Amino acid sequence: MRSAVNRWHTFALAVFTLLLLACAPTALRAQGGEPRYFAIRGAKVIPVSGPPIENCTVLITRGVITAVGKDLTIPDEAWVIDGKGLIVYPGLFDAFTDVGIPAAPAPGGEGGGSGGGRRSQGERANGPEDRPGSTAWRSAADEVSLSDKRIETWRSAGFTTVVSAPKGGIVPGQAAVLDLAGERAGDLVVKAPVAIPLNLQPLGGFGSGFPDSVMGVLAYVHQLWIDTEWLTKSEAAYDKNPRGVERPHYDRNSSALAEALEDHAVVLIPANNTVQLRRSLVLVDRWNVTGVIYGGQMAYEVAPEIAAKKLPVLVNLKWPEAEKDADPEDKPTLDTLRFRDRAPSSPAALAKNGVKFAFYSGGISAPKDIVKAAKKSIDAGLSPEAALRAMTLSPAEIFGVADRLGSIEKGKIANLLVTDGDLFEEKTKVKMIFVDGRKFEPHEPARPSEPPKGDITGKWKLAYTTPQGDEGSTADLTMSSDGTISGTVTSPRGTATIVSGYLSAGKFSFTINIPIEGNPTDVVFSGNFENGALQGSLTAVGLGFSTDFTGAKPGTLSGIANQQTMHQVATHQIEGDVR
Amino acid sequence: MNRTLTLARVGFSCSLFFSFLFIANAQTPQSAAPPAAYAITHAKIFTLAGAPIEDGTLVVRGGKIVAVGAGVAVPADAQVIDAQGLQIYPGLFDSVTQMGLREIGAVSATVDETETGDFNPDVVAATAVLPSSEHITVTRAAGITEVLAVPASGGMDSFGSSGFIGGQASAIHLSGWTINDMLIKKSAAMVINWPSIETRSFDFSTFSVKEKPFTEAKQEYDKQVNELADWIERARHYAQAMGHSGSADFSDDVRLQSLVPVIRGQLPVLVFADSARDIRNAVEFCDRQKLKMILAGGMQAYKVKDLLRSKNVPVILRPVLTELQERDDAYDRLLTQPTELAAAGVKFAFASFDNAFARRLGQNAANAVAYGLPYDEALKAVTIYPAQIFGLGEQFGTLETGKAANLIVTNGDPLELTTDVRYLFIRGQLTSMDNKQLRLYEKYKNRPKGN
Amino acid sequence: MNRSQALIAAGFLVLACSFVARAANPPDVPPAPAAIVIQNATIMTVSHGTIEHGSILIQNGKITEVGQSVHAPKDAQVIDGEGKFVIPGIVDCHSHIAVDGSVNEGSISVSSIVNIAEVLNPDDINIYRDLAGGVTTANILHGSANAIGGQTQVIKLRWGQPASKLPFEGALPGIKFALGENPKRSNFSFPGQAKRYPATRLGVEETIRGAFTEARDYQRKWADYNKRVAAGDKSASAPRRDLRLEPLVEVLEGKRYVHAHCYREDEILMLLRVAKEFGFKVRTLQHVLEGYKVADEIAASGAGASTFSDWWSYKVEAYEAIPYNAALMTQRGVLVSINSDDAEEATHLNQEAAKSIKFGGMSRDEALKMVTINPAIQLGIDNRVGSIDVGKDADLVIYNHDPLSAYAVVQKTLIDGRVYFDRQRDIAARPDLEKEKKALTEKEKKANEKKPDATVEIGKKPAAKPDGAKPDASKTDAAKPEDKKPADTAPDKPKPPQADAVTGGAL
Repeated sequence: MRSAVNRWHTFALAVFTLLLLACAPTALRAQGGEPRYFAIRGAKVIPVSGPPIENCTVLITRGVITAVGKDLTIPDEAWVIDGKGLIVYPGLFDAFTDVGIPAAPAPGGEGGGSGGGRRSQGERANGPEDRPGSTAWRSAADEVSLSDKRIETWRSAGFTTVVSAPKGGIVPGQAAVLDLAGERAGDLVVKAPVAIPLNLQPLGGFGSGFPDSVMGVLAYVHQLWIDTEWLTKSEAAYDKNPRGVERPHYDRNSSALAEALEDHAVVLIPANNTVQLRRSLVLVDRWNVTGVIYGGQMAYEVAPEIAAKKLPVLVNLKWPEAEKDADPEDKPTLDTLRFRDRAPSSPAALAKNGVKFAFYSGGISAPKDIVKAAKKSIDAGLSPEAALRAMTLSPAEIFGVADRLGSIEKGKIANLLVTDGDLFEEKTKVKMIFVDGRKFEPHEPARPSEPPKGDITGKWKLAYTTPQGDEGSTADLTMSSDGTISGTVTSPRGTATIVSGYLSAGKFSFTINIPIEGNPTDVVFSGNFENGALQGSLTAVGLGFSTDFTGAKPGTLSGIANQQTMHQVATHQIEGDVR
Repeated sequence: MNRTLTLARVGFSCSLFFSFLFIANAQTPQSAAPPAAYAITHAKIFTLAGAPIEDGTLVVRGGKIVAVGAGVAVPADAQVIDAQGLQIYPGLFDSVTQMGLREIGAVSATVDETETGDFNPDVVAATAVLPSSEHITVTRAAGITEVLAVPASGGMDSFGSSGFIGGQASAIHLSGWTINDMLIKKSAAMVINWPSIETRSFDFSTFSVKEKPFTEAKQEYDKQVNELADWIERARHYAQAMGHSGSADFSDDVRLQSLVPVIRGQLPVLVFADSARDIRNAVEFCDRQKLKMILAGGMQAYKVKDLLRSKNVPVILRPVLTELQERDDAYDRLLTQPTELAAAGVKFAFASFDNAFARRLGQNAANAVAYGLPYDEALKAVTIYPAQIFGLGEQFGTLETGKAANLIVTNGDPLELTTDVRYLFIRGQLTSMDNKQLRLYEKYKNRPKGN
Repeated sequence: MNRSQALIAAGFLVLACSFVARAANPPDVPPAPAAIVIQNATIMTVSHGTIEHGSILIQNGKITEVGQSVHAPKDAQVIDGEGKFVIPGIVDCHSHIAVDGSVNEGSISVSSIVNIAEVLNPDDINIYRDLAGGVTTANILHGSANAIGGQTQVIKLRWGQPASKLPFEGALPGIKFALGENPKRSNFSFPGQAKRYPATRLGVEETIRGAFTEARDYQRKWADYNKRVAAGDKSASAPRRDLRLEPLVEVLEGKRYVHAHCYREDEILMLLRVAKEFGFKVRTLQHVLEGYKVADEIAASGAGASTFSDWWSYKVEAYEAIPYNAALMTQRGVLVSINSDDAEEATHLNQEAAKSIKFGGMSRDEALKMVTINPAIQLGIDNRVGSIDVGKDADLVIYNHDPLSAYAVVQKTLIDGRVYFDRQRDIAARPDLEKEKKALTEKEKKANEKKPDATVEIGKKPAAKPDGAKPDASKTDAAKPEDKKPADTAPDKPKPPQADAVTGGAL
């Protein structure tokens, strides 16, 4: 939608004002006359730090858990909530995501073959000194924005806390622990920085600039750590005695990394398959950093080795599954099948070997599916207690915030999840969520009123016209049986996750949230789904921009029909020849 | 060419005892009148048309084999080659090469293999076969006496496409002053590169792979197949029209014209396809369109061997020494396929598919034998079978009277790595095995030490 | 785009990514027994002739006896060699298998900073396939996209072992150089990109000279620093460590072998000159297809030559390649090996060596040496492998037929006295693997039917297929047209297969 953006540029001011309004509801729900004193009485409490307590009361005072136990005296100011039949969990913790960070144009790494680092295509890095794909100074704490719709959808699914990081490149920036509510962006930040995530895949293909190979990326990171240490040393030495010494140059990445390490940020190392996992064990030693693995889906192969190194693991809950619309004759290999079959057993293997691990959403687009995915690891042998811990106390420990988060204990931040049943039961509903002691009802995304007519699942080509001319996007939609739509929309400016959507009878609607002029904006696609085609309009909420679009599933035109038309053409031409 | 040099060169490949015979070769001007006939005596003759003949004699005259047997008399005017301890075989037939069309792979100026555009039924390989190509002399030194020069048989045009109808393959002798001397059959087959369903494509603007959904790829594929069907259909009507070409406004069309023998079943289509699906689709298409199909490639032919058998589709097999495409393939998948096809009654021939590796033809056949293929079948699959598959079985592929005298005299099994070809006959002429590589060898072998 | 690019694309798209979870197929390798005796076989020792009806005793991975008869302990596992031929494990001096991702850091003309040893992929199926072709040791090289390429690693093909168990213990590390058409990029270019320096053979020489001049200064800087520290100078501040120059210093100090990809006679002499100028040795000239033209100079320099059997004409610098090259260089006193440069070619190196018997009249013994002891010497591991002698590693290949023939089939391949490949075992395991595949497919189908909206998490590509999903250039030797297979010239690093795609929503 690039060309459309240009047009919208003129709306910058309007956008700004509208944006404030857009934010208002979020704020209002969480302030005003609302009490800051709560008592959840007679509920079943799962502290995680200890055994479950039946018929228990939890007192919350100005954002903090002030008491947990049976028959407590409830202060008069407390708003009493009858916890009968309810279960109170610590708020869920998504150990690695970018929720809260607007999908800012990523510094490379995204568009596959397109160059590397923050370079425009053609401009190439020629060595580690050019710091390809590195923006270590970027900080989730600075970039967090209340306008990310996922803050609400994640919270509604029971997640009160996330570790979020900027996206893109080899060293994208610094991660922060965020609470998923607040009046101002800064309110969300619990601790920063807590982690330095790395991406060890090359930014682009052969010839796209250094590094264009896995070994190149590794070599670069080696040199980066060496330079960071060396620059810190030589700067100190220079400050002591600058005379007659060549001035050490300033390096934005190195100094940012040095500071983050001083703040005890851990280094997140990507490793999903056996080879990467074993490699990561070598890398932490070589780099001499406090490492945490993320990925870990093939840990069922190497859990004992990870345990021996005492390396924590963030397990990606986005389990490998068969590709949609794949070539039916392109059969998966045996090891692929084994991987898909066994990946969910990795957490059990880690638990069995005493490895500390936490779960992260890993790009699952619908938050309600995160707990579902965790359930799969329970089906694959993990105890429900361990699964819960991996979404509460364990991540808090891994990121050094267990003193304030992760369990229901006196003095900890009042982040709670209240349900009407066991968290891992399909039918269980989230009744309320407390973030920093503020009470939220789960905000149900727009629900389909009628059962869906047909299945909208699949890859769609969307065509529409902007003032600048024709444009196209692709929508990768998945519809669940109740008509809820999730997935992604990929336009010339990147891929955005669908924050809410549904198909009700023949009417569809799905919404993405993308930055326009830096301001996150909802773009709603809605209309009719009839005989295998989409017809409707897309609207940039608050920008007064709207345009019609059509969506077609490639390949729906049947080969036979095609053939006939072809042959009509053929015959026609032939007659031409004969006459 | 200087005779003493010839002797020197010959000296290496066989004992000087034989070398005085190396007078004639393809480069010899007609004026230097080669002998009227040759008689190769005391040889073990593998006719491939019956049991081997011990201590046999084979007589060549006028480019043909005029006598072969144990008690055959040696004509008075025949030059005698005593092949005591040697063996005679038909020359090898490499039925997919780019002979004379591809000199240096990476240099497009030396490559005339794949015309641009998707439908080029009218282009003919023979047009651009370079008689002086170094590949010809190098290849025949390996005992290969005739080949098919096949357009669009692996190479691509400047847009990375190899098209669908690639043109006409020509059968040629590997010896001759001009293409006219060399030509066996100008149009031996019509090349079709079968389109396949490509969910992945290579994007040169980013040097990366682009993926597309299967349904989309399938749609493109259907479109391409329909285009093919469309061309066949038009050729049919064109053929009809040619009948009453009296009609005033009938306009000729070179492309449709060149497809007429195809739709009339006179000219086989040589269809390149490797995956089981592509082969299946191609066979069904040709069956529907009543085209005479020869499959080329066939890396997964074993998956559809019954279909190939029932439709009598012969296969020109890609070298068994080719990298496997699927991880779960057994490591010997390609090596055992010939055995499997032979057992299923599918007729096949081996081919190099790349003239830079033409001399590995025998090696590939031998490797198939190592993995179970009967030796005789392997030998036939590089001689008489390819000849029959391309309708040249009456002239080539066995040592029988009346057949073209394209044959080799070796010191052993012609499929074996270490076997020397001692004498080479093409079109009845004793043909030199001299070539660029032999010349360079001689030159640098004789480089004075330490200079 | 030119034609060779088209070929690049062509091959690129048929080559399936070989990155996988683990040794899914073929079957896992049983542990080595304490003692194995191979009896009554034709033993081609390479070092001391051929023993008919001989025996080999293997204990704890080493050859402890070779001869007409050996004293095998009762509990020794017996392999009947009746009618079989045994040779030393084949050593492939130029391979690109077992690498995770591209074998080229193709961005820069001096990529000595990267190291193949860090990205070994033990699950590359080509390890097993080459093993099935009798290869037991391979020199894993960086590609030829750069005048000075990456650091290289000699491995043993220990299929099923983790990456850490692949490296050949004690083998000196190497570095890849490349001269001629590939580093100067004659045969391909990148749309919208300026031509990279060097673009001529002249520039290739200067690129190498420039790098070693830097390396020499770097070496001096550190020497000075260390001297000052030794002298107790507290104020001495350490120079910046440069991972790009360190391996070049190792070359200058003789601690790292140079394996130089080259074709033409002029560039061969150029490199030997440059090496002399900077005082290092070229360990092997790789491909060296015009080596026969300057064989005396190569012999004089002490460099080894590792070449192809009969490849030619795929590019201009290969147009004067001749199959007599190996024989001619050998006649002139050059130490010659035959290499594969290609996963498939490696499966029949015994046959490729045999071709020199025909082309150049080499003796059978000399021919066999070219894929056993000669490459072992070139890699400095001849004290461990390359011949069948007491005390050497029990790396052996058992054929059913004369290995210098096209009819020989490998029956067993042993490394360190362990049977890593066994043809019978492989064949026997196939039905089970098929069965398992079927079962898992069924299971997956059922699971998806059971929960229609369980598919919600299924992501957009590259989710799903770790392998086969993306074509892979992991065998890429930078637009390496010296490969007969266009596949291998695909100069690209594909997106990581699913199993690598750990980043999900973050990053």
